[in-house]
Amino acid sequence: MRKTMAVLAALALTTTACSQRAPEASGPGKEVVVACGAAEDWCQKMTAGFTAKTGIPANYVRLSSGEAVARFGASKDSPEFDVWHGGPADGYEAAKEQGLLQPYTSAATGNIPAKYRDPAGYWTGVYIGALGFCSNRDVLAKAGLEAPTSWDDLLAPGFAKQVAIAHPATSGTAYTALYTLVRVKGGEEAGLRYFQDFGRSVLQYSKSGSAPGQMAGRGEVATGVVFSHDCVKYQEEGSTSLVVTFPKEGTGYEVGAVGVLANARNLDAAKAYVDYAASATAQEIGPTVKSYQRPTSPDATPAPQAFDPVAVKLVDYDIAAAGKAKNGLIERFESGVATAPAN
Amino acid sequence: MSVLHRVRSKPALAVSLVVVTAVLGVGLLFPVFQVLLTALSPEGLDAAGSLLGSSVNRGIVVNTVVLGLSVAAVGTVLAFLFAFVRTRLDVPFKRVLHVIAIVPVVSPPFALATALVVLFGRNGVISQGVFGVPYDIYGLDGLTIALALSFFPVVYLTLVGMMQRLDPSLDEAATSLGAGRAKVFLTVTLPMLLPGLASGFLLLFVESIADLANPLVLGGDFTVLSSRAYIAITGEYDVASGAVFSLSLMVPAVLVFLLQRYWIDRRKVFSVTGKPSGRPQTYRGPVALCAYAVAVLVALVIVLINATILFGAFTAVPGVNNAFTLAHFDFVLFGIGSEAMVDTTVMAVVAAPLAGLLGVLIAYLVVRKLPRVGPVLDFVAMLGVAVPGTVLGIGFVLAFRSENLVGGVTVIPSLVGGAAVLGGSVGIIVVLLIRSMPAAVRAGVSSLHQIHPSIDEASASLGADDSTTFRRITLPLIKPALLAGLTFAIARSMTTLSPIVFLTTPDTKIMASQILAEVDAGRFGNAFAYCCVLMTIVLTLIGLVRLAIRDRGPARARAVPTPEAPVLVGAVKE
Repeated sequence: MRKTMAVLAALALTTTACSQRAPEASGPGKEVVVACGAAEDWCQKMTAGFTAKTGIPANYVRLSSGEAVARFGASKDSPEFDVWHGGPADGYEAAKEQGLLQPYTSAATGNIPAKYRDPAGYWTGVYIGALGFCSNRDVLAKAGLEAPTSWDDLLAPGFAKQVAIAHPATSGTAYTALYTLVRVKGGEEAGLRYFQDFGRSVLQYSKSGSAPGQMAGRGEVATGVVFSHDCVKYQEEGSTSLVVTFPKEGTGYEVGAVGVLANARNLDAAKAYVDYAASATAQEIGPTVKSYQRPTSPDATPAPQAFDPVAVKLVDYDIAAAGKAKNGLIERFESGVATAPAN
Repeated sequence: MSVLHRVRSKPALAVSLVVVTAVLGVGLLFPVFQVLLTALSPEGLDAAGSLLGSSVNRGIVVNTVVLGLSVAAVGTVLAFLFAFVRTRLDVPFKRVLHVIAIVPVVSPPFALATALVVLFGRNGVISQGVFGVPYDIYGLDGLTIALALSFFPVVYLTLVGMMQRLDPSLDEAATSLGAGRAKVFLTVTLPMLLPGLASGFLLLFVESIADLANPLVLGGDFTVLSSRAYIAITGEYDVASGAVFSLSLMVPAVLVFLLQRYWIDRRKVFSVTGKPSGRPQTYRGPVALCAYAVAVLVALVIVLINATILFGAFTAVPGVNNAFTLAHFDFVLFGIGSEAMVDTTVMAVVAAPLAGLLGVLIAYLVVRKLPRVGPVLDFVAMLGVAVPGTVLGIGFVLAFRSENLVGGVTVIPSLVGGAAVLGGSVGIIVVLLIRSMPAAVRAGVSSLHQIHPSIDEASASLGADDSTTFRRITLPLIKPALLAGLTFAIARSMTTLSPIVFLTTPDTKIMASQILAEVDAGRFGNAFAYCCVLMTIVLTLIGLVRLAIRDRGPARARAVPTPEAPVLVGAVKE
């Protein structure tokens, strides 16, 4: 037993006798390291475009929003990254709360409409994606259904077990839908009541926000509630029977963002990158890699596949208010509509 | 003789003990300790409270246990079935069945689950296309199938080893006393296999509750602790409660280790019977035929799944739009994926041999040199696979992002992040090493238990010191175990995902994380192409290792008893 203790003590010693020091910063302004929250090909083109424009080398690592926030938090004192680009603004709000971002505003970010950026300048919106109905024409036809054009269409008996949506506790997309219905129906009570009825139509609450679009593409359900640009992408990737429609009462949207990390080692380059990301040049890159979100810059030309803000009615979606209401709403959703692990 | 005395008198032993302790202390205990500190923060304690208090979270715990038990049951039955067919039936195509049963070992995470959705989903090629049934595969049933198929091969290899070593004379004795075949099987053979079956059951239990990839793809509404932890971090930006959920997984894992020790001691009772003499009797009749039929059916499913992966890699949208295309391979081989392919292979090639050697060294220390401290060392090494990957990954960032100082002197430079040593690849390689070493330890321990210490003693009495004996006598004798350990280490290093997500840098791209990204983006074709390339690389590497090791001294290797495959929690998958 004493020997056991000796080994344990030796192991414990190696784990506790250390102190830590942040690594030396490499020279300032030499490069910019981007945490990229979008698709691999999108990230590659964005960073290459930045280097072409400014001559500053740009590297990226692709990370989902949550992984990014976890990594930023764990390496807070000596950030690996200078800029965070892509991914929904609610992640940026979470990072801002944890002190992981620093504010930056400039003429370029001021060019973006105020409702698509953080008033304090911690993040700037670079694209908008609208929620839509992603339906499979073949499945609709077989079930004798029309592509839905209203949230209430999804409550029809014909749609029973024919709809997929992610669970709002696990997916920002689905939470956007939940908060959208709160706005559309005029209050939390009414919004949650809608989801109670809607539950009959739902085959599955998936974990990933984009999975319902794939399920519709494979014909597992008639309709998936997803961001419309994802649906267009699956269409172009080969799921040709998909069709996009929007609810006439109004739909919610996400804002994809860019922001400078607190303690960024290459601060000047990071700022230049944010200016670049807010520019029309950068925002027109998306469609070349089948990312059809709508640019936020008034100077950028939207792709024809992006949703049309004239035809699609958007609800008045307040990102900050939605973030504040999130925990309470999800708790009520889980107890009143569908618990995350249900049956 | 105390450890200190023993170590002082033998410098080689001292050096290896220091190396092993340093690797385990720095690469495993230190990072996990850092995460524990995070979990003890107020948010973490809140999460721990809600884990016990909220009915939703209690449901998740129940789900996790139910999933673990069903996978363990199904997987153990499958493993036994295949082992029974291999060792006790006189039927054609046994060799083919054997190879098919091992294939899931090299499948990357996601491949199997994704292929199952394409084949047996609500609009699946088989379920809807052939039978016209809109089967809902998402949930407990689909997860059980996917996990059982993924993890049963390791148990199967263990059971085959055991059944081949069983002494047929016991069966013969029972038969000559008048027992029928069924009675011999139930009262003689099966009881002797019970410890193996139990250890397989426990291994499957731990593997399945720690798995992340499958619950993400196939879980549907069925949430388990591992996916809950992932969601806490990725969906709620809450690392502290993610750490608590992950760490709660370690409780059953630790219990399993304790149970394992108990069973290993029990097993010694009959492994002393030595090498079997004579041939085991073979079974015939309807029961045997049934077992064969089921095994063939399962093998067909495995073939079908892998065929789907291959076929899907060449089609536009697998299962939906089956137009032939080479675009996916173009993407992986010459496009964005090529960098990941090279990086992943290089890091696996560095990590796997280190894992194999270090694992065997630990096994040697555990079995031969440190009979009393050994189990602790063994246990710590095995934690490498029991600690959830997410915890290890975050722990590495917390522990090695900054330089570590002792008394103001840099002891460990920054290992994580783009500015770190060699673009952060050192951190990734250490994680791969920690994750894949346990398999080699298990293989080494089982193999060393079969070799009588008198061989070492003979070497020592002829004047060889410890290191010479290890190099010239022990290592050649346990070469097959080293080979098995290396095989699992290669497969594991190439497919490890969850800890790596937190460590990738601009200079180090990893295939497994790119497969996840492609699945998430709905580009199943690209994901399948990645899987094909990855499996090809793994099989090539394993083939090269086998060639290299076989070439040197086959005569000596032949004298060695069949190695037992890694038995315990040293298995292969995420």
